[in-house]
Amino acid sequence: MNSSKSRNQNAVRYLLLLLSISLLVSISALGYCQSLSQTELAQNGQEPLKELSLEQLGKIEVTTATKTPEALWKTPAAIYVITQEDIRRSGVTSIPEALRLAPGVEVGRIDANTWAIGIRGLQSNFSKSVLVLIDGRSVYTPLFSGVFWDVQDLPLGDVERIEVIRGPGGTIWGPNAVNGVINIITKNAADTHGARLSLLTGNVDKTIDSLRVGGGHGQGFNYRVFARGFVRGPEFHQDGNNFDGWHQERGGFRMDWDSRANTYTVEGDLYRGDSPHMVGLGTLNPPSLGVQTVVDSAVSGGDLLARWRRDLGNGSDIYLQVYFDRTQRIDRSLGESRNTWDIDFVHRLKLGTRNLFSYGAGLRWSPFYIEQSSQTIDIEPHKDTDHAHSIFLQDELQIVPNRFSLTGGVKVQHNNFTGFDAQPTLRALWTPSQHRTFWAAVTRAVTTPSRLEEDFNLTGVASLNPLIFLRVSGNPKFQSETLLGYEGGYRQLFGQRVYMDVAVFHNDYDNLQSFGAPSTFLENTPPAPHLVIDVPYANQIAGATDGFEVSPNLHVTNSWQLAGSYSFVTAGLHAAGGTADISSTGSIKTYEESSPRHQVEARSFLNLPFHFEFDQTYRYASSLPAQNVHAYQTMDARVGFNYKELQFSLTGQNLFQPSHFEWGTGDPNQALIGVRRAVYASVVWNRSR
Amino acid sequence: MNAAAAVEENTRRANLRHRGSNFGLTVAFRNISWVLLACLLVLGGVAFADRPSEYQVKAAYLYNFGKFVNWPADAGATSEFDVCVLGSDPFGALLDATVSDSTINGKRVVARRIARAQDAAGCRVVFIASSESPRLSSDLAVLSRLHVLTVSDNPHFLARGGMIQFVFEGDRVRFAVNLTAAQEAGLTLSSELLKVATKVIGTQAR
Repeated sequence: MNSSKSRNQNAVRYLLLLLSISLLVSISALGYCQSLSQTELAQNGQEPLKELSLEQLGKIEVTTATKTPEALWKTPAAIYVITQEDIRRSGVTSIPEALRLAPGVEVGRIDANTWAIGIRGLQSNFSKSVLVLIDGRSVYTPLFSGVFWDVQDLPLGDVERIEVIRGPGGTIWGPNAVNGVINIITKNAADTHGARLSLLTGNVDKTIDSLRVGGGHGQGFNYRVFARGFVRGPEFHQDGNNFDGWHQERGGFRMDWDSRANTYTVEGDLYRGDSPHMVGLGTLNPPSLGVQTVVDSAVSGGDLLARWRRDLGNGSDIYLQVYFDRTQRIDRSLGESRNTWDIDFVHRLKLGTRNLFSYGAGLRWSPFYIEQSSQTIDIEPHKDTDHAHSIFLQDELQIVPNRFSLTGGVKVQHNNFTGFDAQPTLRALWTPSQHRTFWAAVTRAVTTPSRLEEDFNLTGVASLNPLIFLRVSGNPKFQSETLLGYEGGYRQLFGQRVYMDVAVFHNDYDNLQSFGAPSTFLENTPPAPHLVIDVPYANQIAGATDGFEVSPNLHVTNSWQLAGSYSFVTAGLHAAGGTADISSTGSIKTYEESSPRHQVEARSFLNLPFHFEFDQTYRYASSLPAQNVHAYQTMDARVGFNYKELQFSLTGQNLFQPSHFEWGTGDPNQALIGVRRAVYASVVWNRSR
Repeated sequence: MNAAAAVEENTRRANLRHRGSNFGLTVAFRNISWVLLACLLVLGGVAFADRPSEYQVKAAYLYNFGKFVNWPADAGATSEFDVCVLGSDPFGALLDATVSDSTINGKRVVARRIARAQDAAGCRVVFIASSESPRLSSDLAVLSRLHVLTVSDNPHFLARGGMIQFVFEGDRVRFAVNLTAAQEAGLTLSSELLKVATKVIGTQAR
């Protein structure tokens, strides 16, 4: 009773504090608005703008149109751009958290260093069916068809924008861009001259620090180098086993060189860190019990990328990119080292006045080495080379110039698991006016199999007496999962301040990952003969998802922006063969009930007088029955203050509750891990030259 | 019932009603959001009655720049002073309204739209619209031979070799200058223009 009373008093104090802050903010906003009206009065009745001097022109406050880059405006796909300003003002501290700002993206934090991400449904702990690129480098791993999000933790201050394309991007983007593409683009080195030091400390993100130094000639050669390190604390564990605190160190560089028609980019980085996780380890000899064990994953890697683009004039260009990427992840459950070599070439050429024709080729080799550490988890063979080579053709035809265009294309790919796959697309774009766009598309896309689905072995004890094991095993005949996607959308700018984007889709899936018919056999090695029930992966689930997203953006005033989205998705899948429901992946229920049917995201960015900023982000996600996760809503809030070269901010995250659940653990006996309420303070010193 | 017991009873009821302190906090945050939202909706509407639009001011700049640039003698053969827009035009009628009934150095100022950089012969000032971004480098290579003042919103404009780049300072439109690029094209920018610029790349050649 005593403790609850003191908690209550704390809550009341908290409430009072918050109310007074809100009052303060409101009053200052009032003052601000008044000062604004006064400047306007001063402007009224003045001579025409063109009679003003350059100096006077520079003092006029203007209204700006909602900015939609031309390229985005005329894209016949559901594209959404998360800008650097969105990232900074929403107060997110990692790439996966930033993705919550885009419509149609489902982000579930599993624990401190793991996220389950999906686009338009089929959210999974592997982030399968979403292709992720960083400056043109694929970070989608052929190990398990998905993304290791913990090692994609770039300095957020260097990110220029994140383009999120919902829907299949097969032809342009290549394999595994089935439900969407996430394209992370860092700043050109010409835009990062000077020095930037960012320090952050808080209760969950213990410390995130980064330093960047850049320089160059401006027109010609530009460069930057950076170093970054962080220590993040564990999320909320009901059993007190706070295993998931993690840390990482990263350093890198980027050089950009412009010489009239040629643009060169060279960039690279190196990282290492530790991302502990929980895994069930056992033996094939008695006593054989699988024990949930905390293992430290030593992660390290690096990459080097070079890109050359030559502008051939008249709307034509060529583009050549080469990169090398190394990743290593070693722990007591399994170790993987992988080197990826990739070459991409694209030539776009204007044919006549109406055709933009492009073709290209991509080659990728990815030799890997597996280190088996536990009898019960393995990928066999231990050493091999994955490859994925492709060619594509595409033509954009202006049927009515600047009004109506059709884009058709096909990508043909060859990979070491399934051979050839074709991914054609047809897209139409109609722009009846400068401020209105309609588009529609039909696309086929595939997820190619991974080592997990082909060569994996995971064994657990089903019964101790008699000794029986249950084994999930890879299927060498696993096929590509296919999608035929139908989608359409509409964008409009109303006046200067309101932008609306609506997209609808129907996705038809076939060959989705499932489990096949079990077989039983007696295994003699290792000794003590034991019975194994073997369940292979199969492709026996098919069906469809339907949904839509509405994402308005409102510049209420020049100092206040509201943006948000509502996303709806529903799945109807069925067994196309004898699929068995034995695990947390690969079953109909898991596919259907692991993505929130309804999602709402809303944010408010407000500029206050005296260089203060007040920003809020609200979000709601409906329940995930297959993950035992209830619906939740929560909010982030940030107060920022900019003084000359310094930016101070205080940010609260997940404020509505001490912790909330976003994703299951995959094991019904294991308690869910809660995402904690977090508070952090940060200071950024940015001296641009 | 004594005071202490009453407090305790109230606390208990409050607890029941609010399902613990966190619910109270939740309500508090929601309230703040709504108060702020309502306040700003009202005030925001008031504050934005009559500001000029971004491109009104930019049009005025385009016209004004012409007064602070000296072109080489061989560029002055035309009878008009053409301010051109390359790519998809963000100004609409604003630019025409701005330059109407105006002269610079005794020449009538005319707003002209061009589709390709090659068509810029005769232009004194060329505004390069954002639709040209993919072709920016090749556009600038063509324009540099034509003795025209190049202006754009493109955030990499100066780095790519453009001359004047509009930048935002809060809600104010200002501009930065690449002096080297202007000099390479044979243009002389007045010190008055350089003084007002937020940033000048390169130094004045003697």
